[in-house]
Amino acid sequence: MNDPLPDLDPVIHAPARLRLVAALAALDDGDRIAFPRLQQLQGLTAGNLGAHLRKLEDAGYVTVEKTHRGRTPTTYVQLTRRGRQALEDHTAALRALLEPVTARAAAGRSEGAA
Amino acid sequence: MGTTTQHDQDDAGLDPREALALLDAERTRTQQRLVPDLRLLYGTWGVAWLVGFLVLWGSTTGRGPLALPPAAGGVVFAGLLVAAVVVTGVHIARRTAGVRGASSTQGAMYGWAWLLGFGCMASVMASAAGAGASPDVLGVLGPAVSGLVVGLLYLGGGAMWQDRAQYSLGVWILLSSAVGALAGHPSNHLVMGLLGGGGFLVAALVVAARGPRAGAPA
Repeated sequence: MNDPLPDLDPVIHAPARLRLVAALAALDDGDRIAFPRLQQLQGLTAGNLGAHLRKLEDAGYVTVEKTHRGRTPTTYVQLTRRGRQALEDHTAALRALLEPVTARAAAGRSEGAA
Repeated sequence: MGTTTQHDQDDAGLDPREALALLDAERTRTQQRLVPDLRLLYGTWGVAWLVGFLVLWGSTTGRGPLALPPAAGGVVFAGLLVAAVVVTGVHIARRTAGVRGASSTQGAMYGWAWLLGFGCMASVMASAAGAGASPDVLGVLGPAVSGLVVGLLYLGGGAMWQDRAQYSLGVWILLSSAVGALAGHPSNHLVMGLLGGGGFLVAALVVAARGPRAGAPA
């Protein structure tokens, strides 16, 4: 018999965006980070980061705000409340997926805690 | 609701356990890289105070392992403090670069508190010297007032960031400064070096032992 599995959010579940959302969630609520710094932290190319951010922005998970500091254009990225919630839901869904597996593994052979 | 889940093509191979581990690791790693490393800051100031005050004490009394000529003692002491200020400023600027919002405002306000505190101290010292304070009085006043500023700011920082180690360091620096002031000049330099500098180094070890960002949300 099949337990109903919780749906995983496809926007977040891609590894690159999972990392990206986790990094943005490390900022305090209400803080935003400059695009180049985020790029440096994530080790992504500007094009790659931009593409992932666009997907997250389309889902309403991040806001991308273009401002000017003097004459230099700067882009700031921030996780929205909805994005933070989506990450929490996603984490809960992952844990739920894992629970039966853990229970089964414990019932069978002992888990190799490596 | 079906039991099938749609995925992007690029998430193949990421099982829930890996995904959770990735989330956790990335969050912790990013947090660490956005906040100043207190081990580095406490370690830097610990060495600067320990060596600097021992040099100052040695050059005044001619005792101890670091007994330089009196003029050289002051220069080495000042040089160590300037170096520590530069290391601190550059490190914090690098770690906090590119982040805007409530926490950066908080950090900037706190940073200004240090500048204002030491600016005020400089005018107190200048005024005392102008009023004819003896070298012994100035020698007590300098370490005591700077210890007072440092200790109080660590109390404030510890309270603001709910950091018990930082708060304890503030208490310790205040105690060291009080003991130093009571010991009088030039013994206060020995007290500030051993107790104050030693306190910073112990704080660096405590922070290192407690691991990354204790108390951060999981």
